[in-house]
Amino acid sequence: MTSIMFSLLIVPLVSALLIFIIPNARKEIFRPIGIAFSIITLTQCVYLLFGDYAKTEFTILSTFEWIQSYGLNLSFGLSGMSTLLLLLSSLLVFVSLLSIGKDHAESKGFVGSLLMLHFAINGVFISGDLISLFIFFEALLIPMYFLMGIWGGENRRYATIKFILYTVFGSVFIFIGTVYTAVISYGVNGRLAVDFETLSSLSLLGSQSRSLFLLFTFGFLIKVPIFPLHTWLPDAHVEAPTAGSIMLAGILLKVGAYGVLRVSIPFFTEGFLAYKNLIAVLSVIGIIYGAIVAIAQIDIKKLIAYSSVSHMGFVMLGISAGGFLSIEGAIIQMINHGITAGALFMLVGFIYERRHTRNISDFGGVKITMPRYAAIFLFTSFASIGLPGLNGFVGEFMILMGSYNSYKVLTSFAAFGVVLAAIYMLWAYQRMFTGPIKYEENESLSDLNSRETASIAPLVLLMLFIGIYPNYIESFVIQEASFLSDTIAMFRDLK
Amino acid sequence: MTTVSEILGINYIVIAPTLALLLTVIVLLFCTITISTPMYVKKYVSFVGILLTLFTIFLKFGLFLTDGVSSYFTEKILLDEFALVGNVIIGMVLLFTFNSFWKTSEMIENKTTEALILVLMSASGFLLMVDAENFIMLFIGLEIGSISLYALAGLNRGDQLSNEASLKYFLLGSLASCIFVYGIALIYVSLSIIGVYEISFAISIIGPENVPLTTFVGLILIIVGLLFKVAAAPFQAWAPDVYQGSPTGYVGYMATVAKAASFIVLARLVAVSLTFIIDQFDLFFSAVVIMSVLAGALFAANQSDLKRLIAYSGVIQSGFILSGISSGVYGISASTFYLITYIIQLVGIFTVFSIISGQLSSDFQISNISGLFKENKFITITFSIFMLGLAGLPLTSGFVSKFILITNLWSYERYILVTVLMLTTVAGFYFYLRPIWVAAVEKTENVVEKIQVKNSDKLLLGIMAALTIYFGLLPNSLVNITRWMVEGYL
Repeated sequence: MTSIMFSLLIVPLVSALLIFIIPNARKEIFRPIGIAFSIITLTQCVYLLFGDYAKTEFTILSTFEWIQSYGLNLSFGLSGMSTLLLLLSSLLVFVSLLSIGKDHAESKGFVGSLLMLHFAINGVFISGDLISLFIFFEALLIPMYFLMGIWGGENRRYATIKFILYTVFGSVFIFIGTVYTAVISYGVNGRLAVDFETLSSLSLLGSQSRSLFLLFTFGFLIKVPIFPLHTWLPDAHVEAPTAGSIMLAGILLKVGAYGVLRVSIPFFTEGFLAYKNLIAVLSVIGIIYGAIVAIAQIDIKKLIAYSSVSHMGFVMLGISAGGFLSIEGAIIQMINHGITAGALFMLVGFIYERRHTRNISDFGGVKITMPRYAAIFLFTSFASIGLPGLNGFVGEFMILMGSYNSYKVLTSFAAFGVVLAAIYMLWAYQRMFTGPIKYEENESLSDLNSRETASIAPLVLLMLFIGIYPNYIESFVIQEASFLSDTIAMFRDLK
Repeated sequence: MTTVSEILGINYIVIAPTLALLLTVIVLLFCTITISTPMYVKKYVSFVGILLTLFTIFLKFGLFLTDGVSSYFTEKILLDEFALVGNVIIGMVLLFTFNSFWKTSEMIENKTTEALILVLMSASGFLLMVDAENFIMLFIGLEIGSISLYALAGLNRGDQLSNEASLKYFLLGSLASCIFVYGIALIYVSLSIIGVYEISFAISIIGPENVPLTTFVGLILIIVGLLFKVAAAPFQAWAPDVYQGSPTGYVGYMATVAKAASFIVLARLVAVSLTFIIDQFDLFFSAVVIMSVLAGALFAANQSDLKRLIAYSGVIQSGFILSGISSGVYGISASTFYLITYIIQLVGIFTVFSIISGQLSSDFQISNISGLFKENKFITITFSIFMLGLAGLPLTSGFVSKFILITNLWSYERYILVTVLMLTTVAGFYFYLRPIWVAAVEKTENVVEKIQVKNSDKLLLGIMAALTIYFGLLPNSLVNITRWMVEGYL
């Protein structure tokens, strides 16, 4: 298991370096190499699903000495949630490599950056201590910086710098939190040990727990993003190239929620109990606000970006409610949103490559020229809305049901988010696809080719699979969710 | 039977690095004024001189193993861990910047030997400075080093900016030297001592609460003189102009060597002389740190000249290094780690600058590197690694150095300092990423053409970039070295 875990780091890194070495004359083989290596990673992740650690809570498998005199070690491990997210990231890298257009696929930097991003993301999910978590969390920025900066839209400079500064500002808090934890740990253990096993044995209480929770959670919530801190997201999404948007919505937003679940809640539970109401209120504001703003959008990519704010609000609501069902729902919603938002951004990318516009009003009646595309778009929209039988329903239903006990009023408001989602998604669908063809440019649009269909198909199948058989995906997170909710319940009783 | 030389503590190994450089200088001078010597002979003579210096530094380690911390020449020259680390840093700087200062000197017609002599003399001065136990010795070393640097800055006589840089450096530098000497005088007046160790003895005898005010003022003035050399705010005004105006090939050497020597001396001063009264300097050091990082970040944010940008970034980095020096023994070791990694990045950056804009050029606009990536992949990648290292991104040495520094500050409960330093780091991402944006990301019409890079430059850049990554991934060895440096002062 340990060797597979490390190969999840090494394979993307090696493939990226390989792509950088291959001369530009052979540019047609960049994509096949990237796909071949991401299939290797994907297979390894599937293998992990059947491994010993696929259904457990976080277990540290390997530890390296980093700075001996400070007693700093780097630890790596696996858990059920990590395994699912690793699988999701490998799948999304695979499909986005398959889906990107020729310009991007034949660019050394684009494919290489995507694989470097894959490396950093995998690193986040297998980190077993705060230092390596922080290292990979920050390392995400560099490939994202190049993806957005070089291949982004018109206004990319502003969006990229905003994205970088927001994230770095957040990670400064995580950094200070890491330093603070290390110093506390030094007082107890005589060395700066910040691996997750040591942290859980520290069992911090009182003001230490509260301030550390604030430091870490603030950094992670910027990445989620939660309501007042979300403004970088629409800009970043609109300016990022399609593959960048897929990775951003599919995985990068999950890194924030993952951090809250992995670090903030289990180690600083008292702080979580103190501030969970605040987070819940902000999440519900984010759900409603994101949905309402999404209705008003004229740019389809911005619409999906704001819908991400709304959907990630559900995740944070589930987490802050802190019950078994709601946390389980939040983890499942993380995976689901990764699949549906990734698929939606990919679909937008397909039509943008054909028409070079993303304004909803420039379309209309596209269903006639692109029937297959319209069908998949509708299917994905339904999944995003949360139609029973598709994946979106599973997570949101569990979250709403699980949070109702803790927050009756807030959950009632949050439920309106589902209705609003139906409004913005279906209305956009209606304006883009139904009715007569208004502009003649739309008459000559070609339907999805086989490569594009093949790249969206795995996501569509997963939406259906999770929708009808949620039991399977749930089985991976039961132990982790119950561990988290037990910890929370224990601290609540302690009070 | 004790001979006179034993009583006086005469030991030529301790000053051997300085002597080796001096010897090289004399040989060079002889070659120039007597017989006409071809260029390559001068090159080999100076390179062999530098290698000889490194070898003699190695010999000093042997002496340290047998003698331990000891003083020579009637307590004027000190052999301790700080001196050894300082010697190694200066020797390494000489070795790694040899390539660029040789090429610059070669281009200055009729003055090649003078330029080389100035470089080597300044190195010998700074070596003497880090070895000095006695304040007078310290001052002599500082002056030998600095005066050579003033001349180096103005060596390109045809360039107006170079002249301006030299004059500014000289005027402000001599002012700082005056302040430094005045500080020494005040300490001598109040305690009748001029030694680094004597101060701590004196303070321990009269008691920390009875230290006369004149001693305090004297110490502050000495520290100010040194802070001037490291360009910490509010004594940073000379740095941007000097960096901008001096011939690019020399700036890498000038910036690093003065900084390294002054920081080592400051660290020893804090660890040895001020041990009993360091608390009283808390406010002073904190103020300097906060001013440095804020002023540096504010001015760096809107520079269009890259050399000025690096100068202001140097002000910020000085603030970071000082914050460690003023917070405990492990802080000093963290600072030294920071200093070494910073020097590596700085040498790399100025090598890149001199490759792109030529060795003698003065100012270096950010537009000079627009579209650099298209034709010059290797240079851009290494340059980006150095810039990211300065910004403190993980996977580079900049992150590790910031991490151990901040951890130490936090354990000393200096929360305000930590907050200010971290905010500066965020701001840093804005102006450190901008050159990368211009060089690699932005689409532009007028691309920098392919530059022929010599193999020696390539090797140098490769080593510097590899070290930046290496100390970011596996910092253990360097951390152990810096810990060893301070272990005796716990």
